[in-house]
Amino acid sequence: MKNRLKVLRAERSWSQQALADQLGVSRQSVNAIETGRYDPSLPLAFQIAEVFGLAIEEIFIHEKD
Amino acid sequence: MTMTKKSTAKARYLRTHIILSIAYVVSVALASAFVPDDARPSPLVIGFALLPGAMILGWIWNMGRYLIEMEDEYLRLLEIRKALVATAITLGIAGGWGLVELFAQVPRLPVFFIFPIWCVGLAVGQLVNRLTINSGGDRA
Repeated sequence: MKNRLKVLRAERSWSQQALADQLGVSRQSVNAIETGRYDPSLPLAFQIAEVFGLAIEEIFIHEKD
Repeated sequence: MTMTKKSTAKARYLRTHIILSIAYVVSVALASAFVPDDARPSPLVIGFALLPGAMILGWIWNMGRYLIEMEDEYLRLLEIRKALVATAITLGIAGGWGLVELFAQVPRLPVFFIFPIWCVGLAVGQLVNRLTINSGGDRA
């Protein structure tokens, strides 16, 4: 699954650590999600969407799409 | 979900691990001091011998509790992958060498070594994590 996390983060000038702190996860987790090495669980995906104020499908893109 | 909670879980895991490790060394020393090498397997002797075993059970319980308490799902995934690799290696060695023992005159692998082999497997699991998903685990 692809995602726009890096772009959205850059638009807000947030570091990986800053985003990780808002989500209550490690910077490693943010990095793994951002680089596509890990797909977050649904609760974490909702939390990410909430932090960015967007819908999940505006952040995560199913590769079929 | 906060980093403080995660840090607390890790701190609790490390604290319990250190206490159990000290208790393990003390119980091995006690068993060595009080149980003669040629002792009969009386309930007292078996009890002394099982004391360090109880600490090993404590280590396993502590690891399980840490996995449950970890708040970060990605770091938990890394830990579980390590444990799976360790289990695969341990079962492979125990099963494989066990069959060799069955059919050939080779030195027996004491079952005592199963747990240390599993722990070495964790280190291999960390390496596998690093090589496959480019992350060795929680370095925080």
